[in-house]
This record gives sequence, structure tokens and C-alpha cells, in this order.
Amino acid sequence: MQTSALVLFVIHALIIGVGGIMAVASRSLVRALVGLIMTLFGVSGMYLLLNAPFIALMQLLIYVGAVVILIFFAIMLTKAPAGGEEERPNQVRTYLLALMAGVLPTFVIGWVVLTDQPASINAPLETGLKALGQGLMEPYFLAFELISVVLLVAMSAAVILAFKRRQSR
Amino acid sequence: MSALALFQVVSLFLMAVGFYGIAFRRSFVGMLICVELLLNGAGLGIVAAGQLTEANPVLAQLSTLLVMGLAAAEACLVLAIIIVVAKRWKSVDPSVVSELKG
Repeated sequence: MQTSALVLFVIHALIIGVGGIMAVASRSLVRALVGLIMTLFGVSGMYLLLNAPFIALMQLLIYVGAVVILIFFAIMLTKAPAGGEEERPNQVRTYLLALMAGVLPTFVIGWVVLTDQPASINAPLETGLKALGQGLMEPYFLAFELISVVLLVAMSAAVILAFKRRQSR
Repeated sequence: MSALALFQVVSLFLMAVGFYGIAFRRSFVGMLICVELLLNGAGLGIVAAGQLTEANPVLAQLSTLLVMGLAAAEACLVLAIIIVVAKRWKSVDPSVVSELKG
């Protein structure tokens, strides 16, 4: 990697780090959401560094544009009073168990991934939009259709679930 | 460290933070935020692996697009589930919603 690329990488990694820690550690859910947005922007910058501008733009469009708004609606609709469930003090046990849940799988996967490194290209080539479109329409057509069906089913199921009246149990 | 390893470390960090948050958060919305972090880490790892090795970059970018689509579908469904749970139990605390517990 060149020095400038390394500097940009470190800046984006810092943005991701601060955002990620904010997203898990802050008491208020809205602040956690702001942390998530920060992380999403950082990851989008990483995609640009990887020379994948289409994915970077899609990241901004889909995540920041749609998913974050959905989560914000979830926060508002559940009427979480500033902090709400997150305000109660935690036991030490919770911290320990959560730390284990985070560190153990990461350690295993990280060990496997980092000990067996394939040769890395230092300057990734840009894939044209044309190649991506052809990939979507020719070899991976089935996946493309399936993801549209999954999205359609998920959206209509969400509408039906949210509108359903409460049945007497 | 090679360029690929650097990106993979960031991706692993996102995974660790996501798992930590899922275990640590005490509302469904907080857990949903952490799941999004996890999925983002997965996407970053896939694109890094496709762009920085000999693998097919088109496949990598399209599978990341697929992961994003799945994340959107998942967020949408979870929002509906959260609304149903909040209506029925008057709370979004996972420890309150424990009817299946023996």
C-alpha cells in the first residue's frame, strides 16, 4: 500500500472504530444509531479505497438511506423513553459474557484467516458497471431474482404482521 | 501485514463489536443495530477478498449487494416483529419476552 492510501485507511478505520464503539456502548438508542451511521460511512469509504465505487454508493443508498430510517422508526414506534431498557445498571457478569461472545468467535475466525493469507494485490482494479450488470443478468440471474422475491416477501410479511389485530389467546 | 489482512482486521473488529452488542444490549432495537454492524463487517470482508486477491471481483461485489438486500429485508421484518412485541408485551426488553422459557 502507498503511504497516502495507508493514511486514508487509518482515518476510515478510526471512523469505523469510534462509530462501532458508540453503537454498542452508548446508553441512548438514538446515539447508538448515530454511531451506526458513522460506521456505515466509514465502511463506504473503505469500499472506495478498495476501488469499488458502485458498492460504496449502494452502501450509502441502502444502509444510510433505508435501513437506518427503518431503525429510527423502530425506536420511535416502541416509544423507548430516553434510554429506557438500556438505562438499568449492568451486572459484571453481563459484561463478561458479552465480552466472551464477542472475543471468542472473532479469535477463532481471525486466527484462521490471518495465519493462512493468500497473496494480496496492492492496487485493486476497478470493475466496470457494465461487467457488474452483465454478471447480474447472465451468470447470477437466479440469485438476483431470488433476492427480489425475498425482499418482496419480507416487505409484505412485515405489513401483514404489523397490521394484524391481536388475537385472543 | 498485507493490504488484505488490514481490511480483514477491520471486518473482524466489526464482527466482534456486533457479537458483543447482541449479547450486551437489552432492547430489541439495540440488538438490531448490532446485527447491522455484523452484516456490514461481512460485506467489507467479502469485497476485500474479491478486490485484493485473484478471485472474481464481479462475484464479490454482487454477493455484497446480496448481503445488503438481505440486511434490508431483515431490518424490515424485525421492525414488524418489534412492533408486534411492543404491542403485546408493552416492552421491548428480551428478558420480558420469555414465555417459552420452561
